[in-house]
Amino acid sequence: MSTIRVTGLHVRHRRTVALDSVDLDLGPGVHGLLGPNGAGKTSLIRVLATVAAPNGGRVELLGDDVADHRRRAAVRRRLGYLPQEFGFYPGFTVREFVAYMAWLKEMPAAGTPAAVERAVARVGLADRIDTKVKTLSGGMVRRVGIAQAIVNDPQVLLLDEPTAGLDPEQRMEFRALLRELGTSSTVVVSTHLVEDVAAACTEVTLVESGRIAYRGTPASLTELGASADGVGDHPIERGYTAALRAHRASAATPEGAAR
Amino acid sequence: MSTDHWHASDDLAARYADGTLPEADAWSLERHLERCGGCAQRVSAAVRQLPAPALVLAEVREAVLAQAVPSEVREPSTVLAEAVASEVREPSTMLAEAVPSEVREPSTMLAEAAASEVREASTAPPAPRARLWSSFLARPLWAAGPAVRGAWLPAVLLVALGALALAYGAGVDGARPLLLAAAPVVPVLGVALSYGPHADPLHEIAAATPSGGLRLLLTRTVAVLAVSLPSLTLAGLLLPASGAPGAAAWLLPGLALTLATLTLAGYVGCRAAAAVTGGGWLCAVPVPALASSADAPLTRLTEQLSLVLDGPLAQGAWATAAVLCAAALAAGRSAYRMERP
Repeated sequence: MSTIRVTGLHVRHRRTVALDSVDLDLGPGVHGLLGPNGAGKTSLIRVLATVAAPNGGRVELLGDDVADHRRRAAVRRRLGYLPQEFGFYPGFTVREFVAYMAWLKEMPAAGTPAAVERAVARVGLADRIDTKVKTLSGGMVRRVGIAQAIVNDPQVLLLDEPTAGLDPEQRMEFRALLRELGTSSTVVVSTHLVEDVAAACTEVTLVESGRIAYRGTPASLTELGASADGVGDHPIERGYTAALRAHRASAATPEGAAR
Repeated sequence: MSTDHWHASDDLAARYADGTLPEADAWSLERHLERCGGCAQRVSAAVRQLPAPALVLAEVREAVLAQAVPSEVREPSTVLAEAVASEVREPSTMLAEAVPSEVREPSTMLAEAAASEVREASTAPPAPRARLWSSFLARPLWAAGPAVRGAWLPAVLLVALGALALAYGAGVDGARPLLLAAAPVVPVLGVALSYGPHADPLHEIAAATPSGGLRLLLTRTVAVLAVSLPSLTLAGLLLPASGAPGAAAWLLPGLALTLATLTLAGYVGCRAAAAVTGGGWLCAVPVPALASSADAPLTRLTEQLSLVLDGPLAQGAWATAAVLCAAALAAGRSAYRMERP
């Protein structure tokens, strides 16, 4: 069963191509989105979050085409999104911020206070729930962002660089949370940290220059690292670089042949 | 003193203060406090020991969020909610409070209002209808977008009080025409500061929610109008007429310009739309009047305003414009889709 289905996706930023005919089918589980800077990870996540409209192609979330504005609100109610950067109103406490997001997500008012406390507890900030967000450290703000993303128990959860700014211990806890979330919903995590993928993801998608370069599992990527020659300290890192090189080589070939 | 056969223990007082006391017990304690000064003092002290105002504000908000199940709203928080609600429902009081100090956030003001009510709250238990007020509080608080939370609110007050100061402080004859010339731009500016990546720090995450887009912008525009329409009209009423149109004459133009801004914003964004409509008004009405005749610019401005605002014809034209803009907004609402990457 696929909850995210993307076909022929094209995204341009002015004249630069960010995503080029991307097809993707994702079901429940934790999907790691890997790739170098500028590969198109953020563009893909923003399109999946229904924040940006694609220039071409079709995006279906939970069986509904998000280009149809009548269906979009229903889809968005079941969506969680943590952007790479986000702001907050300076006067808000953690509780107020997450409750405000719950209100924007049109959660029933009756269940909201409990849902807010639960989401904040899940990211380990229960003792800071009445602290102002602006007084928190960068890693804690990041966790507040994760809390607002999961407050509505989303069926599709999109996290752009969620582990940036978290210390190693917090990353461990976050991976455990990811695994837990992935049992019931479709979680897409973009990250630079290959070890996050190895530890928490059920599937890996590697993006390079706006195209899907590799799809598999952390185990298959590790295997690739063991057989092919890649750079890295860890087998999965070697797998990552090997898959990237293989994709670059195959992308260069048709051009070379056409010349 | 008390006719009851029991008194509140310190433990009971503490649990009442932090809200962990079951509702039925809280009620019976409150009924007791009405008659027992000693216990009222003890409970009051317990409430004061809370790390206010942060916790107090949190309680208020919690009460607000629990509005759909009023029976679960705990008493101390509803008292506060009532206190806050009365502040909110009385915009002039709220505005007057904000004036003397520097730019303060509504939430800070509410926190202070709430904190100051805590002491009385514990000695004077609330009427049951207090819970009703908390439901009135939820929408205005959440609906107030970045404009009403931020620098726009003081700017509205500055315009209103500036006009009053001009008339009564500096003795300028013609403060009302100046106010009427500036007023329609105020809600337009509020719209510009309400939505979009430049105005709203939460824009990126709000855009992925079902409320995002036109709906959120409309909610926030209502908040902007709710603040600016009464305060500027009231200020106009307090000013000497100086031959200018009535204090309410700007309402329809203000509404029409706001709707025009919303219509345009779907295509070009809030900032550019507000620049077009607000700038258009300024260039069409006050600027030529104030720039052209050097001898009596205020008289010229009054004439100009009478031309565009006075009489059923002018007002009818503004009303038509407002209706047309609303229709255009409804027809073009698909422009408020997702942003282009």
